[in-house]
Amino acid sequence: MAADVGDISEMNQKKYDAEEHVKIICLGDSAVGKSKLMERFLLDEYRPQQLSTYALTLYKHTASVGNKTVTVDFWDTAGQERFQSMHPSYYHKAHACIMVFDVQRKITYKNLATWYKELREYRPEIPCCVVANKIDADMKVTQRSFNFGKKQGLPFYFVSAADGTNVVKMFREMIKRAVDYKQNPSDFMDEVMQELENIDLENKEDNSDAEEDGLKAESPEVL
Amino acid sequence: MRYEAKRCGVQFSPPSIVLIYQDEETQTLRKRIIPVRNFSKYSDCSLAAEKLKNNSRHRDYLEGVTQSQLEKLHIVLRDHMQGFSLEHSLSSFHVDPEEDLNKLDDEDLARKKGQMEKLFEKNRKRKDDPNFVYDLEVDFSKNTQEKCSWDEESDDGF
Ligand SMILES: Nc1nc2c(ncn2[C@@H]2O[C@H](COP(=O)(O)OP(=O)(O)OP(=O)(O)O)[C@@H](O)[C@H]2O)c(=O)[nH]1
Ligand SMILES: [Mg+2]
Repeated sequence: MAADVGDISEMNQKKYDAEEHVKIICLGDSAVGKSKLMERFLLDEYRPQQLSTYALTLYKHTASVGNKTVTVDFWDTAGQERFQSMHPSYYHKAHACIMVFDVQRKITYKNLATWYKELREYRPEIPCCVVANKIDADMKVTQRSFNFGKKQGLPFYFVSAADGTNVVKMFREMIKRAVDYKQNPSDFMDEVMQELENIDLENKEDNSDAEEDGLKAESPEVL
Repeated sequence: MRYEAKRCGVQFSPPSIVLIYQDEETQTLRKRIIPVRNFSKYSDCSLAAEKLKNNSRHRDYLEGVTQSQLEKLHIVLRDHMQGFSLEHSLSSFHVDPEEDLNKLDDEDLARKKGQMEKLFEKNRKRKDDPNFVYDLEVDFSKNTQEKCSWDEESDDGF
């Protein structure tokens, strides 16, 4: 398991330090529609890179934000519990997080609390939103208010990967927020703290050298 | 479409997929039995479904049947070959809104997704549809009034 985390980090996450490169993760229970949402947003713009051993699909996307061109890597993760050990690499250096639930399955809404708690352990500050998917299955749900995340001020979207409602709007807003977050210098401290926390965590879990090497190599840039 | 699929099912021996369809020309209901060949209890159901869907002899009849539906029928056949009951197969497709699907293995998760796929395909707007809108936006902020019952028993501070 530890070896897995090492391997995944070899995919050089250092690139996410470059100013014009952001990483956005997509989280939530199995079968809530994370992959379908990605596919709907990107149509067939790029062929994704499938890393099934890591329960991960990577999609690369180019977006314009203001007058800048940014490269966005979307990390489409799997909800299955047996991939729990991968989660630290998902969160590592992420600039925004899209949390999805299925309006037809209450348990996926309830589990948001667990996903969110874990996210905040690794990334206390990054922009995050709550996405209610599959509204095409029952439009009545859009008359209800879902209060998860309200207190934290997380934006909320009613979407459907099937008919496309609000999918593009949600992704565009999240890309913008990821870029803003990255440019906001007040988060500098947070970045540094995060790096330290990650090192601490990796030592505790006795993960591979690869990840630690990566972090050491980066620290001069960060500090 | 010359043939409109009405219903489909399976027949265990010999293992076959049964299709009830309407012949558009003659307006009659007909039954087509498609024997499933080269299929064992070790076969890959999704592959088998794809092959059948593209089979030149059957594809016109199967136009209205989605691939995931065909996959499901193959799973029922394979389950039977492995000694599972029909009830077992059918209940494995059922999606219980309270069940935590994160705990399932790949195969069982695929069964649930196969079930969900039906509605997805039905409601799906495709890129090549004439009235497809890539950037479809709907503002629901005005009609969110009711409190969601899913929030009621939660005291977890969210
Ligand atoms: N009706 C409807 N069904 C959907 C929608 N989005 C996804 N689905 C269905 O939900 C199933 C699961 O979707 P996926 O995109 O595979 O779910 P996921 O979140 O990526 O799941 P994991 O990768 O296993 O964690 C699919 O089989 C779709 O049929 C939607 O907007 N509407
Ligand atoms: Mg997925």
